[in-house]
Amino acid sequence: MLRFFRRPVGSAQRAQGSTVFWILSVTASGLLLMGWLLPWFVEPTASGIGTSPQDVLLNPAGFADFLIYVIAATMLILVLSPLVEIAARIRKRQLPQIADRARLIAAVAGLALTVAVWLLVRYILGPRDSTLGPIDSHTVTDSAVWLTMYGYGVAALVYGARTWVLSRPNVAFGLVVLPFGALLPLMFHQAPDFLLWAAASLAVYTLLGLGLNIVVGFAGLLDLGYAAFFAIGAYACASFASPNHHIHLPLWVLIFIGAAVASVFGGILGAPTLRLRGDYLAIVTLGFGEIIPDLATNNVLGLTGGPSGISGIDQPSIGPINFGTNPQWFYWSLLILSIIVVLLLRNTEHSRLGRAWVAIREDEVAAAATGINTTSTKLLAFAMGASVSGLAGAFYGSIVTIVTPEDFSFSVSVAVLSIIVLGGIGNITGVILGSFVLTLVIFWILPHMNEWSMTVSAPDHPISFLPGLGTVNFTQYTYMVYGVALILMMLLRPGGLLPSRARRVELEKGIESESLAAVQGRA
Amino acid sequence: MVSEASGSGVGRSAEAGLLVSPAGLAPRERETGGLIRQAIPVVRGLYLLASRYFAAILLGAILLSILGVYLGWGKAAGGTTLMGEQIRNALVLGAIYALIAVGYTMVYGIIELINFAHGDVFTLSGFYAFIIAGWLGLDSMATSGIGGLLLALLIIFALTMAAAGLTGMAIERVAYRRLRDAPRLAPLITAIGVSFLLEGFMLVKFGPDNFPTHNANWITGQAFNVGGVSIGTKDIFIVGIALLLMFALGAFVRVTRLGKAMRSTAQDRAAALLCGININRTISVTFFIGSALAAGAAIIYSINYGSIQWSLGFRFGIIAFTAAVLGGIGNIVGAGIGGFLIGMIYVLGGSLVGGEWSESLIFAVLVLILTFKPVGLFGIDVTTRA
Repeated sequence: MLRFFRRPVGSAQRAQGSTVFWILSVTASGLLLMGWLLPWFVEPTASGIGTSPQDVLLNPAGFADFLIYVIAATMLILVLSPLVEIAARIRKRQLPQIADRARLIAAVAGLALTVAVWLLVRYILGPRDSTLGPIDSHTVTDSAVWLTMYGYGVAALVYGARTWVLSRPNVAFGLVVLPFGALLPLMFHQAPDFLLWAAASLAVYTLLGLGLNIVVGFAGLLDLGYAAFFAIGAYACASFASPNHHIHLPLWVLIFIGAAVASVFGGILGAPTLRLRGDYLAIVTLGFGEIIPDLATNNVLGLTGGPSGISGIDQPSIGPINFGTNPQWFYWSLLILSIIVVLLLRNTEHSRLGRAWVAIREDEVAAAATGINTTSTKLLAFAMGASVSGLAGAFYGSIVTIVTPEDFSFSVSVAVLSIIVLGGIGNITGVILGSFVLTLVIFWILPHMNEWSMTVSAPDHPISFLPGLGTVNFTQYTYMVYGVALILMMLLRPGGLLPSRARRVELEKGIESESLAAVQGRA
Repeated sequence: MVSEASGSGVGRSAEAGLLVSPAGLAPRERETGGLIRQAIPVVRGLYLLASRYFAAILLGAILLSILGVYLGWGKAAGGTTLMGEQIRNALVLGAIYALIAVGYTMVYGIIELINFAHGDVFTLSGFYAFIIAGWLGLDSMATSGIGGLLLALLIIFALTMAAAGLTGMAIERVAYRRLRDAPRLAPLITAIGVSFLLEGFMLVKFGPDNFPTHNANWITGQAFNVGGVSIGTKDIFIVGIALLLMFALGAFVRVTRLGKAMRSTAQDRAAALLCGININRTISVTFFIGSALAAGAAIIYSINYGSIQWSLGFRFGIIAFTAAVLGGIGNIVGAGIGGFLIGMIYVLGGSLVGGEWSESLIFAVLVLILTFKPVGLFGIDVTTRA
């Protein structure tokens, strides 16, 4: 049993493993916290676990409330345990092993208890027991319990299978991300629609991040106009599936059209910029990324509908299932598409082409000298990155049913860049993590903060301690979130949360100005 | 036998004893051929021509568009008055671009970083100027008389430029200094982050709409009238202040010890360090001056247009950066001239093809410069930058 908890030896393994371990711990506690706090984010309308915690706290009575206390206690243990671990790590860079076992027991017990309570509430007590109130009608409770359960599950995986997690960091992370991704619509199966849209936009941003990762991460070409290809895909979709030109093609054809058109534009942009390197390339792509929405705004050739864009894009459907009325189907198809893209990219990364990209990224002259055709390789990077973006754009168009030029401003490019910087430039798993974290913050936490602050600052609310809170519009902080994410990641962890190994060496050691470092005595 | 494409070293060894079969050395492309292959020399020749005569082509285009506005091609109404007014507007706008472009070019010259946050420092200084004017009651002072106006201008320029300069120094200290020796992608991404942080801050603090400032009516009146084109005191003041600030900067860089330190740091940082120059201080001063000039641009912008908006700096920044690239990045005089040229292109091009296209036009110019002449009009050819 003790052997099971022992930390593995081998420094490289530990270095990357512990990162994943940290991410998983934080994920677990984040999910737990979200599940726990979700009720607070919603207007308190009735008593019960979900909707109004302060009612439960004020009038403790009965068996159900006792259960709630037990759950809250185990939750607290699990939420605090990563913090304890952080403290322990800071203090002696070593873990007390007894705490591991305690946490494992707490995780398993908490998971079991939550499942039990959820079943109890949902199927046995819920509809009949008056002490718990009209819980069944409050889907928030369901979502909260789902999130909590999932958090416990992750915590159990982390603490129970520590050695295994440390030795297979990416697989472990995938095991967390994939089920979470698959469960997302289930968690919110009756929840407000905007959560489903948020889940769908998460998938779109994941695709965008994966595409930009080809250009920036693999080939090392900083593209600041990535939203342009997204726009091209979306407008291609809008043109071929709307009353605008009286063409109605199904989405399954459109995604290929979007990808093809975007990749052609990727090649067009790539061709004149092949001579440029580094920051000049970034500026040219930025200019391109500004020109495309401008063209759309000015309704070039009468194709784009001007500033109001193209509306009335068809909602795709499979047989009787209409995606428009069932938004989770968007999510499912995007999830499948993302998995396919991830598999393709993973294979490409390790193919001859992927190695050529890395060679160009590290040293273009040397790469050319070894016989790599830098022109076609860079063009392929641009075209492939653009095609993934066009794919995402076609989906985006049919999700939102209206595309306007403002949807593709520079902030979208920066959002995608933040995703890959946050997650880890050049690492596919990291990009997925980055899109999860960022969309969670932008589409889930910030809007909920708005609701929460409005609820809390209502004058009759028991905890209205900050009267001005209700007027704060938290969604306005989106820009600052991007900015802070970019700055902090570059300063503190330039490789991202899950750095790719080659990239980390390059970014942290630094490859330039060795003479200066020597002069300053730092080499 | 050996093709001219293979290097001279290989050629010599092949001549010496034919160690390698010449057939193996022949470039692969020879075998394919075709239309594309024949077109390549033509394309390359056109490319070389365009890059060699880039300045002439650009100036020709500007002169042609002045003529176009005069004759009333495109959407312009035509005539002397319109042309004169457009040139006046172009000079005013160009003065603002030039002041911002100088900040870009100085920072790029010294640490080879595209300081994305510079455009937002410009916007932020506009808000600084508004706050300072509000605190000190400068609006009533400025409209009270000529003496009050001069005093108010002096105070607002001094305080805003100092505040903006300190902001720039703080940004450099917090966000860029640690990454000075990191690969170039890292500080560039940080700069984008700083830009978004500043924009987000201004959005939260000052709201999403156009924010009216009160200094639009500080300077009024018409200075003189040239053939029906009325030139306001404001216009003369704006262009004059911009030129004054830029000449002051030029003198500073050329004459003072600190300016010499800046030039040597830009040339070779390691060597400058060996000569005993305090690099950190020099770079801080560069950021201070660049941001202070952006503040000057912001004040004249708000005096001219009377409002400011949180997202203004982004596009202004790119346009000013285009000006800096056009003048040859790292070249202060070039940035000034580039700013005025870009102002011309913006206004005249806009009046020829329609104002909604003028920004696209500038971005197109940016892409063209970087494609055909990355060193700009007055830059030195440094291969690593292209």
